[in-house]
Amino acid sequence: MMRQRLWAFLFPPDSDCWVTILRIGLGLQLTFFAWSVRVDWNDLFRTNGPGLVNRALTEAILSSETAFTPRLGWLTAFGQRFGFTETASLSFIWFGLLVAGLCLLAGLCCRFFAIGAWFLYLCTVKSGLLFAYGVDNFTTIGLFYLMIAPLPDAWSLDWRLREHRALSPKRFGFHRRILQLHLCLIYFFAGLSKSLGADWWNGNSIWRALTRPPFNLVSAEVLIRFAYLLPAIGILVCLLETGYPVFIWLRRTRPFWLAAILLMHLSIGLTMGLYLFASIMIVLNVAAFGPDSLAQLTRKLFWRSSRASLLSDPDADRIVS
Amino acid sequence: MSGGQKWIWVVALGLHLFLIATISLQDISSTLANTASLLPSRFEPLLDWTETVTSAAIGNHLDVSNPLRQVLAAYADVTGIEAGYSYFAPNVPGNAKLAFELHYADGRVEYDLPVVGGEAAGYRVATLLDQLRTLHYGRLREAIVKTLVLSVRQEHPDAVMIRAVFGVAHLTSVAEYRMGQRISYETLYAYDFHFHPQTSRPH
Repeated sequence: MMRQRLWAFLFPPDSDCWVTILRIGLGLQLTFFAWSVRVDWNDLFRTNGPGLVNRALTEAILSSETAFTPRLGWLTAFGQRFGFTETASLSFIWFGLLVAGLCLLAGLCCRFFAIGAWFLYLCTVKSGLLFAYGVDNFTTIGLFYLMIAPLPDAWSLDWRLREHRALSPKRFGFHRRILQLHLCLIYFFAGLSKSLGADWWNGNSIWRALTRPPFNLVSAEVLIRFAYLLPAIGILVCLLETGYPVFIWLRRTRPFWLAAILLMHLSIGLTMGLYLFASIMIVLNVAAFGPDSLAQLTRKLFWRSSRASLLSDPDADRIVS
Repeated sequence: MSGGQKWIWVVALGLHLFLIATISLQDISSTLANTASLLPSRFEPLLDWTETVTSAAIGNHLDVSNPLRQVLAAYADVTGIEAGYSYFAPNVPGNAKLAFELHYADGRVEYDLPVVGGEAAGYRVATLLDQLRTLHYGRLREAIVKTLVLSVRQEHPDAVMIRAVFGVAHLTSVAEYRMGQRISYETLYAYDFHFHPQTSRPH
């Protein structure tokens, strides 16, 4: 009985809609990432010549933790065997990231480019671990789940161009559950740690986050006019994040909670300039919980509009009877 | 999907979620142990115990060369779960800042900051500086600052000495801002790098 309930929870039949969202979202994310760092790419990752931080140093730090994590050094060394300079190899890797992003977006050779995108992105992030931040962890998480997810989805070019047999709905359901459970852990721990800081309850943390360089896109003079809102926003962030693992599962609260979380990330992106961070969190949330919420909302709207049209129709009584 | 396959997936999922929870708990307990929070002081032994247990569970107590530790670290890296999620918690820390004081042979002094071409890389530099602040290994910090100094030296090849001043900001609260206080910086470290004219290597 217990096992049956566990099986029903972990392997619910599901459509491939969420894989489509994750694939397209990550494709866009990777494309924007590659484009945004194109000017500084060599300065960030070269070992010869003046760069921001010598990659040899960051890879030495990485090696002191583990020798098994992929890094750009492996790829540049491989390129050297074929006579490519470090700069040429780095340019090739950057181009590879861009192509992987675009192919994921189109759904071309999904599995190959999902693995390739994950590997190249991981190498990039790990070779720049001193300047990696939250967005890199979340993009790696997304790419890892996409790589192991059932592919291709019905909206991909792969599906249209080649003959594919439909994959098991239970596999789609299980892989989506992994992403959902992971997001619940992320928000729970993020919310819990914030809730234990006094400044999240009086608005000072929101104020500091928004006035802290380089995130101070909104001027402090403008922000101070809305200071009375900051405690409420701080408390709302704590409640939204800590309550996520509970309220995102309840049918009635799911659409509201998801919309509030998406609004929170959108606000972070717009007010702090963390566009890539905001977009990856939106992609992960929409992929994990979006299809149900959208279906629920559509059902509700459809039910309301059909009920309203029935009530306004003079022949409604006749139709109903 | 057969029953056997399902069991394999479930066990893998269990281990994966266990690692995520353990790493997050380790992160939160070490963060709370080292910063002021609403948690009463009587919870400190519990935080220490949690940090010890979770660190042991993810292999941090093993020797660095231990294969199990290496494999666990690599798995956390490749799945993107190696870090916890206590961003800006329990409090928002002040940002770090690095400024360069460039001295020339004729006695001129100029000032500069680490410069990158794009906004996205700018956020990464901010992250790098924040990492420098929390780095306890002084020689590593100096080595990183030296590479940043060398990139500045490229722009100013005539400088004979570059002083890198590393500081941290004191962010104001709403009440402090209303009273007229603004962000102030406290110097934590300063490094001097001397150059022979026409060479790029500091000594």
